[in-house]
Amino acid sequence: MSRILMKGNEAIAEAAIRAGAVYYFAYPITPQSEVGEYMSRRLPEVGGVFVQAESEVAVGNMLMGAVASGKRAFTSSSSPGISLMQEAISTMAAARLPVVLINIMRGGPGIGGILPSQADYFQSTKGGGHGDYRVLVLAPSTLQESVDLTMLAFHLADKYCNPTMVVADGMIGQMMEPVQFPEDYKEEPLPPKDWATTGCRGRAPRIIKSLFLDPAMLETNNVMLAEKYKLMKQNEVRFEAYKINPQNRILLVAYGTMARICQTVIDELAEENISIGLLRPITLFPFPGKEIFAEAVKPNIKAVLTVEMSMGQMVEDVEAAVQGRKPVEFYGRTGGIVPTPEEVRDYILKILAKKTPAVKSWKG
Amino acid sequence: MNQVTFPVLDKRVIIFAGAYGSGKTEVAVNYAAGLAATCSEPVSIIDLDVINPYFRSREAALSLEAQGVRVISPHGEMCHADLPIILPEIRGEIERSEGKVVLDVGGDNVGARVLSSLADSFGRGYEFLIVLNARRPFTSTVTGSLKMIHDIEISSRLKFTGIISNTHLIDETTTETVEEGYRLACAVSTEAGLPVKFVSAVGEAAKRLDPETIGVPVFTLKRQLLKPWEEKDRAARSSKNKGGLVLCRV
Amino acid sequence: MNENAQAVFNRPQLFGEAVTHYCPGCAHGIIHRMVAEVLEELGIEGRTVGIAPVGCAVLIYNYIQTDFIEALHGRAPAFATGLKRVSPDLIVFTYQGDGDLASIGTNEIIHAANRGEKFTTIFVNNAIYGMTGGQMAPTTMPGQITATSPHGRNVKECGYPIRIAELLSSLRTPAYIERVAVYNPQNIVRAKRAIRKAFQYQIEGRCFSLVEVLSTCPTNWGMTPQESLKWQETTMLPYYPLGCFKTPEGEVKE
Ligand SMILES: Cc1ncc(C[n+]2csc(CCOP(=O)(O)OP(=O)(O)O)c2C)c(N)n1
Ligand code: SF4
Repeated sequence: MSRILMKGNEAIAEAAIRAGAVYYFAYPITPQSEVGEYMSRRLPEVGGVFVQAESEVAVGNMLMGAVASGKRAFTSSSSPGISLMQEAISTMAAARLPVVLINIMRGGPGIGGILPSQADYFQSTKGGGHGDYRVLVLAPSTLQESVDLTMLAFHLADKYCNPTMVVADGMIGQMMEPVQFPEDYKEEPLPPKDWATTGCRGRAPRIIKSLFLDPAMLETNNVMLAEKYKLMKQNEVRFEAYKINPQNRILLVAYGTMARICQTVIDELAEENISIGLLRPITLFPFPGKEIFAEAVKPNIKAVLTVEMSMGQMVEDVEAAVQGRKPVEFYGRTGGIVPTPEEVRDYILKILAKKTPAVKSWKG
Repeated sequence: MNQVTFPVLDKRVIIFAGAYGSGKTEVAVNYAAGLAATCSEPVSIIDLDVINPYFRSREAALSLEAQGVRVISPHGEMCHADLPIILPEIRGEIERSEGKVVLDVGGDNVGARVLSSLADSFGRGYEFLIVLNARRPFTSTVTGSLKMIHDIEISSRLKFTGIISNTHLIDETTTETVEEGYRLACAVSTEAGLPVKFVSAVGEAAKRLDPETIGVPVFTLKRQLLKPWEEKDRAARSSKNKGGLVLCRV
Repeated sequence: MNENAQAVFNRPQLFGEAVTHYCPGCAHGIIHRMVAEVLEELGIEGRTVGIAPVGCAVLIYNYIQTDFIEALHGRAPAFATGLKRVSPDLIVFTYQGDGDLASIGTNEIIHAANRGEKFTTIFVNNAIYGMTGGQMAPTTMPGQITATSPHGRNVKECGYPIRIAELLSSLRTPAYIERVAVYNPQNIVRAKRAIRKAFQYQIEGRCFSLVEVLSTCPTNWGMTPQESLKWQETTMLPYYPLGCFKTPEGEVKE
């Protein structure tokens, strides 16, 4: 199939359909409303279902019902809407339900604004709702990657029986780029859905639940979940190394749109013989902490700079990863303002001009 | 070399509509700038995109105004609002009798619906142009394009008067991409009974087009709506909103 | 406050100088103005707090010069409950669209009405989601084309439009509930009378009060302002009958 031009939100919608997810539940919210509009046209063609729910609270619970049947279902929303789904996400994590959620992030907190943001990093990677749980978090930085990661999200959700989130800032949802959909999409074999509630004729009844009256049983469930998260950390860390080499003087860490901006800066600085590398987390959970550590400790690296569209969220994970071995710096803009390549470049030059900085927190 | 003169359309009001992502905003913005450079009359552009929250013609406002185009779009903080703002002055601008007005309308029939709320203003002559991009999923075939034309005509209550062939893949656009799109536009033209008014394409692809193959004027576009990491002429950004995504009229 | 008692027709002082951001032909502006006039006429503007919705009317606080709280989407009745319960001397009103009140916030409005919270709700029913680009609302008319019902609202899948005034009137708790329209001057006069009555009940501490105002959205309906008024009359009115559905004195049908 040839390359076609798509808007991020449409590309994600089409990718979900290609991954066999034709059940979609959502409530309108900018800047992701095109997913729903695309689905309302495409789903009837492929025999799918789109319910425009009465609220995001309902969406979360509709999803629980839908995926409990063993079918692939998903939603898309933007920051405030994802907040409203947190109770359901916590419950789906506890009950091991493989759901996919797309968060096209906008500026917060509160109602905030509709322009791009990466300020839901904490919310998505640290659980977000109540209790001990994690969701798998994938963060594309191009539209092709949005397609690939959306399809992968359904696979990983089924593989681990765990909620899986694709987080992209509004820029990725709204921009246009050429993409290609895989000709015939094949997935690795997945475990059978021998937990799905499909009617118990000919077998013992199955119960999907998250209530544990016996504290020991609840603890056992949490321990089992934690083991699953450990497996994810072993097997699913994904990242991209951009121009990483022993000459690098600064290691940048950025994801999504911010990584694209950092790449522009790296290319420009390379022309001036200033060598900078970028480590771009593709999975935000599990986080490529070991890989960041390995690069950060290289002798030429003067500092690690995290760039985000937030007041500093991922930087806390970067700091934990670097373990105090190198200074960790942070540059960010919020409110929907996207840092320009100039700003990032100026900040890099400032760090390079500093005398040997003491190892201290970016918070100062 | 196929550099022809700027394809001036006689009508006073020129409306660009089309599918999401057909590139109508780029075409409209470039066309308005082209008009300002070629004709003596005042030129204005109306940002009527009430659907897209980003990448609207208002983002090119500073550069357009520098080129002598009056930009009519929500002011100040309203330009970022998630609100379908229809300024009262839009009606006046359309109904006036002098000057040229370019309208940039939101995508698909959904985006074109807003025209319908102005239906009683379009009395005098206008060009209503469908911008076609054969590399967009819903307009990659003649049937799809005809359906798009039909749907937009229904929701806008206006009849198209011509086709703009604007097939592109952003920076992956080649001369072949443009030619392939032109063939589709011609086929749509025959079926719909609408003339292809011009082919538009970005600089490099436009330069290498064979005038033998393209029987209509070629309009060379300069991309105006760049992503933040593509921006070359970054000094043009306002210093107040340094780092800001959107350039707005304050 | 109103020293110039002679003036017959004035822009209500409460209605600031700001030019509203509403589209030409949108009834939000008229409805704001009626609310401002009523607050001023009743002399309660100084002790009124409005609760702004998430929707096209989110910037209502730029236009009506009283205190305001900006609620989360759909939750205005809960904000109002909290405020009114701890400060019963305040006059509290919510101003909500149909996506806000009849979709995401149905829970909050039903329970506030059922508890008999003594605040006032101005419910603006324009049969569509205006702010987010014209998606289907629970009040969208059967067959009406919207961004998420490209083939028209299909009642087999989406059910029939919700009639909020009727729905809330079925609650046993005393309340004042009336539906009005704004498609011509006579109806505007009636609408204002209803809004005034709603606030009057609140001043007297009698009951929860809600006025459903049938509104317009020319931009997303795809109609000229004139046509929208016509459509309100010919399409919405037969489905959404006007009148008073409930008063604390007992069921009345005008
Ligand atoms: C939790 C949450 N979900 C979704 C939205 C997006 N949103 C903003 S306004 C709105 C609906 C507006 O429609 P309506 O209430 O009918 O008011 P109108 O704009 O028509 O006046 C939606 C869905 C949001 N702000 N917050
Ligand atoms: S979109 Fe509709 S509801 Fe919103 S301001 Fe415009 S006409 Fe009014």
